[in-house]
Amino acid sequence: MKRIVALLVLIVLLVTVSACVGNEQFDLDSETEIVVGLEAAYAPFNWSTPVSSRYALPLDGQPGVYVDGFDVVMASLIAEELGLELVIKAVDWDGLIPALLAGEIDLIIAGMSPTAERAQTVAFSNEYFRSEQVMVVSTTGAYANATSLSSFSGARVVAQLGTLQDGLIDQIPSVNHLEPLDSYGLLGTAVASNAADAFIAELPVAQSMVAANSNLKIIQFTGTNGFTVSDEDVIVSVALRQEDELLLAAINAALATISTVERNQIMADALQRQPQE
Amino acid sequence: MNLFISLPPKDEFINTILYLIEQYSGFFIRGVLITLLLSVVGTVGGFILSLFLTVLRTQEIDERRDSLMTKVLKKTGHIFSSIYITVFRGTPMIVQAMIFYYGIAPLRLSFWTPLVAGLTVVTLNTTAYIAEVIRSGINGIDKGQMEAARSTGFSRSQAMFLIIFPQAIRNSLPAIGNEFIVNLKDTAVLSVIGVFDLFRATQSATSSNFRIVEGFFIAALIYLLLTYLTGKAVSALENKKPLKRVKANA
Repeated sequence: MKRIVALLVLIVLLVTVSACVGNEQFDLDSETEIVVGLEAAYAPFNWSTPVSSRYALPLDGQPGVYVDGFDVVMASLIAEELGLELVIKAVDWDGLIPALLAGEIDLIIAGMSPTAERAQTVAFSNEYFRSEQVMVVSTTGAYANATSLSSFSGARVVAQLGTLQDGLIDQIPSVNHLEPLDSYGLLGTAVASNAADAFIAELPVAQSMVAANSNLKIIQFTGTNGFTVSDEDVIVSVALRQEDELLLAAINAALATISTVERNQIMADALQRQPQE
Repeated sequence: MNLFISLPPKDEFINTILYLIEQYSGFFIRGVLITLLLSVVGTVGGFILSLFLTVLRTQEIDERRDSLMTKVLKKTGHIFSSIYITVFRGTPMIVQAMIFYYGIAPLRLSFWTPLVAGLTVVTLNTTAYIAEVIRSGINGIDKGQMEAARSTGFSRSQAMFLIIFPQAIRNSLPAIGNEFIVNLKDTAVLSVIGVFDLFRATQSATSSNFRIVEGFFIAALIYLLLTYLTGKAVSALENKKPLKRVKANA
């Protein structure tokens, strides 16, 4: 019985110690480095590679393993803006929030969406990426000058199997919802060969496809002319400890220096660097 | 020289495997080395620590001769070892890894890396299992041996260390070898705290191309090779002749 009590006391002590350590705010003036956690296994946001490059940074504590992707570029830009040295640690998805709370890492930049559930435990910055849903059509087709979803009334629209985009098709009035296809390569072929009138994609994906195929064209929507999506499905944010309010402000300020166009370009470049078939 | 400039199409299973091996051999080699390190350190370290645990567990309290202090110490040792074994055998290693790594991480000890935490957890975990193995080894030794030793003038601890333990350990060796095989496979769960073992190496190798099945097929072959070879070594150990029985002369 006494030992159980002693054990409990030890546990309480340990928890208290960790709580105390956790209460210190991240000090932007005295800290020299910032530790970012990500999975290193969530392309195109972050992935591992054995080759070092301008974009692929070394993973902390894992010699010979480098990490590349959209998150890595954004993390470098943020660290540069804050004047801190960037250290990147690979942490399992489920371990990211515990590692943040334990002080193992200072930020999660891992393609994480700021859900209400997660926001109870951690703080989130403003979004650092919003995937814009666009339509891709043939430059010579009937929809080349469409401006809103209602212009696509009656069109044959297709998307990739099992994606958010496939679910969005039905928002188009009296649409002809085609059987979803396996890859974006097939979607491009379908539209180029007039087997479909349009497909839905995230902007960076659409950009990289249009770059490779001059017969295709992107239709972007303004205001309420486009698809209705919930933020949780399309935005990602930096997660940090709730007490790090100063750091949160600094990160939001750093993010404000990177325009949407730049972000989309960084994402398109990351998609290009991913191994291609 | 590169055999594959680009990722082979999805339906080319063999080519994808060759591509992964070519591009990510560094990951796989590193993963195998870390997995071996975890298993060797875990098993050897667990064996050594389990001896202490076994000593704590097998000591008997002599009601008449032991001082109060000795009795308390022995009793504490007893309780400690049984709690230890119950806790470490009764919880999954993946849970232990989470508690140890993230429980100690807030202290910001610079040496407390995922690998060190992984080595610690696998060692502590294996200790509990090997302690049970050795205990059953001790139970398998005829009680008459202890009685004979005591009657010929050995003290209890002399008899334990010189006569019972050596035989019990020798008989337990194959089971300890099996623990090593178990460790080769089970250390995969330590990837959850970021240890770059074979499992995580494979995850990393497939992180940008999503050829999960092909990647883990390679991992399966490597695990199989490791466990097969170790299994052979263990059965060679098993087939060795048991210790010669000394015939008692009446």
